[in-house]
Amino acid sequence: MWWQWAHWLPLAVLVPLGFGVTTPAVAGGDGGRAWRWAVLGSALAAATTLALVVRVAREGPFSYAFGGWNPPYGIEFRFDEVGAFAFVVASLGMLAIVFSGRYAEHALDPARIPYFYTLLLLDIAGLIGFSVTGDLFNMYVFMEIISLSSYALVAVSGERTAEMAAFKYLVLGAVSSLLVLFGIGMVYGTTGTLNLADAARRLGGVGSAVPVAVAIALMAAGFMVKSALFPLHVWLPDAHAIAPSPVSAVLSGLVVKVGLLGTFRLYQVVYRTGIVDLAALDQLFLWLGAISIVMGAFFAIFQDDIKMMLAYSTISNIGYIVMGFGLASKFALIGAAVHIFNHAIIKSALFLAAGAIIHQTGYRRLSELRGAGRGMPLTAAALSVGAVSIVGIPPTAGFLCKWYIALGAFEAGRAAFGFALVFGALFIFVYYIRMVNAFYFQEPVHADVVHAGDPPLSMLVPVWVLAGLCLAMGLAGKIPLTFITPAISRLLAPIGG
Amino acid sequence: MKKALIIALLAVAAIPLLAAMASMPRFGSPEQPAYTHVASRYLQKGAEEAGADNVVTGVILNYRGFDTNGEVTVIFTACAATAAVLVTSGSRKKEKPGEATVPLSPVVGYVVRLLAPFIALFAFYVVLFGEVSPGGGFQGGTIFAALIIILSVVAGRNVAERVLPARVRPWLQIAGPLSFIAVGTLGAVLTGSYLGFPHARGLLATAMLMGIELGIGIGGATVFASIFWRLGDEP
Amino acid sequence: MIGALWSNFDYAVSVVLFLIGLYCVIAKNNLIKKFMGLNIMETSVFAFIVAIGVVDRGSAPIMGPGARGPFVNPIPQALILTGIVVAVSTTALALSLIVRVWHQCGTIEADELRELE
Repeated sequence: MWWQWAHWLPLAVLVPLGFGVTTPAVAGGDGGRAWRWAVLGSALAAATTLALVVRVAREGPFSYAFGGWNPPYGIEFRFDEVGAFAFVVASLGMLAIVFSGRYAEHALDPARIPYFYTLLLLDIAGLIGFSVTGDLFNMYVFMEIISLSSYALVAVSGERTAEMAAFKYLVLGAVSSLLVLFGIGMVYGTTGTLNLADAARRLGGVGSAVPVAVAIALMAAGFMVKSALFPLHVWLPDAHAIAPSPVSAVLSGLVVKVGLLGTFRLYQVVYRTGIVDLAALDQLFLWLGAISIVMGAFFAIFQDDIKMMLAYSTISNIGYIVMGFGLASKFALIGAAVHIFNHAIIKSALFLAAGAIIHQTGYRRLSELRGAGRGMPLTAAALSVGAVSIVGIPPTAGFLCKWYIALGAFEAGRAAFGFALVFGALFIFVYYIRMVNAFYFQEPVHADVVHAGDPPLSMLVPVWVLAGLCLAMGLAGKIPLTFITPAISRLLAPIGG
Repeated sequence: MKKALIIALLAVAAIPLLAAMASMPRFGSPEQPAYTHVASRYLQKGAEEAGADNVVTGVILNYRGFDTNGEVTVIFTACAATAAVLVTSGSRKKEKPGEATVPLSPVVGYVVRLLAPFIALFAFYVVLFGEVSPGGGFQGGTIFAALIIILSVVAGRNVAERVLPARVRPWLQIAGPLSFIAVGTLGAVLTGSYLGFPHARGLLATAMLMGIELGIGIGGATVFASIFWRLGDEP
Repeated sequence: MIGALWSNFDYAVSVVLFLIGLYCVIAKNNLIKKFMGLNIMETSVFAFIVAIGVVDRGSAPIMGPGARGPFVNPIPQALILTGIVVAVSTTALALSLIVRVWHQCGTIEADELRELE
């Protein structure tokens, strides 16, 4: 069958990478040509990753050995159900790039536009590589491609605050990468291998558990900074709020998930070796997750800047996923894994819709945006759909995964955390109600908001595709849940099973 | 006060780290897992299988070639990132044509002009002989970039920019990733997997390795020089 | 414990360097000094990983006539070559951001920048 062609797996990374590096040379300073090239590249990447998802759904996980060297001697790509994140990355990346066409013309220096698309494509390539690689050091390399392009994308607008936010992001990001690399070095030093599956096998027989435990702690700490868990979140609100809106969608929807996917891969390595007792780590995740849920939502309530509010809500949602990891029961893990996908879709929808509104009106504060629902009905409606879904109201995408995490809390006998989750959802509900209220029910402050009109189709279509996906993922919520279940079952299977 | 607190916290963090270091396999031991597991095969068969006497080069380009593919992408990402941060449509060069950035004695200028061809030759030597001796594409590319940087400081940027003409510079910058994609695809056609090299020691395999090394060298040199120039542009 | 740490002296040094770098990142006020701290951290991790590759009385892993073992482990060297390139790239980007901040704000002291906000 067409989806069985082995080379889809390396192509999934090489297509966006190849299109990304050639963008400035092909564009020759023409922003429009750069945009068309980038749209083509990301569309091909989405098609390629779709083939992978079809294959994993039919046949289960498969791998690809680079250079013909069998693991552990060469680098291996391994695609499992969680790797399907690559498809989410490619398709959301494509929508963000389509959206950027008109947005970049308006918001960016023309000399920077080709580089903007290069960085977006490289970010996508890195994210796809990160989600499919089966090698620890290769993971680090992809993580750095993602990080470097993300730092620059935050600063691309050239505003003073953006550059300072990017520097803060860069310092924290680089420290977290080094923590991860230190951990990788220690795993290599104790096992002699960099291949994830091989490391999982060999970790059972290492001489001393201390380096392994410290390596896990270092890598978990690094990944927690990358995914902006509560006390380590300081870089996120500024970076995500000040970046151009399509970049915010990519950063908030996809790039923060690097830490979570990394944690998941780490779990896949150490979970069944039994060499280290992970109870302490689970406990830590549980508490930090719960605190993130509440604090993220709490800060979001007091934001007037619409993108700042969305950025804090990301922290809250990351909390849900990490709490799901910490609960470590089957339902919670399934819910957490699916929420990685769903949150990506919902948050991209929200940021792109907010970006469209800011693009059309020039205002970014809720107090100034009153009446936007009348001025640009379609965009505001998409934003409301996203809002409803992130709160987790039943027929939308956010509901089922949060429900599963709550079920997982009860399954693990941690009912209190189930209530923390409901409590957080209430907070989230409050601040989105504020937004909907401002858009539809309050008297407009600025007359031009009411007469702004919906944005051009190249912006409206991506926004509505995403909003439609929020609804579809809710109505067909069972599909991603059953799709991801085999990966979780393999993770939790008893030792030797 | 604040500093004392930070030091105290870091000292606490040092304890588990040092404990982990103490229970790592003994430093320099030939029995440590890092040496006996994957590395032993590289050392025994590397020169034959990977097609390079220098096993480090064999690991970089062949066994773990895809890492290096990612690495050249990182270099280009840095180039694109600095461009995205620094370039503006109004940015211009700081100096007048043909002028040195700093006042120099004639001796310095003379010596640099005299040495330049030899430095370039050494850079190419390091690139091409990476296979059998310490060196390789990155090292050679860096030396070449250093030459260009010295030239732009001593002889002025216009002289240095003539080495890497602006018209082809966007293509030279991506020489690394492009050569990897080209050679990797060729490998996929010949051996059935991306970055596969046909039976080692053949002329074709050597040519492919050289192609990658040259690509890395040219790409790296151009990227480093471009970053240096961009940092000097006036916003 | 102390004896084991002494025999792994090289690893312990990289831990100390790592923490010194981390201290600079947290405590220094100047953005360039912060970044120098980050470079110290990078170097310490590279030193640690390269140290894993050391073998007693090992020589460079270059085969060919006249080469005599034992050879040191080639993998850490290959990894760190990649690591160094990543570090250089991060440094380039950080410096360009600092240049921009300097042009726009006229200062690169973190506390003065905070007051500007």
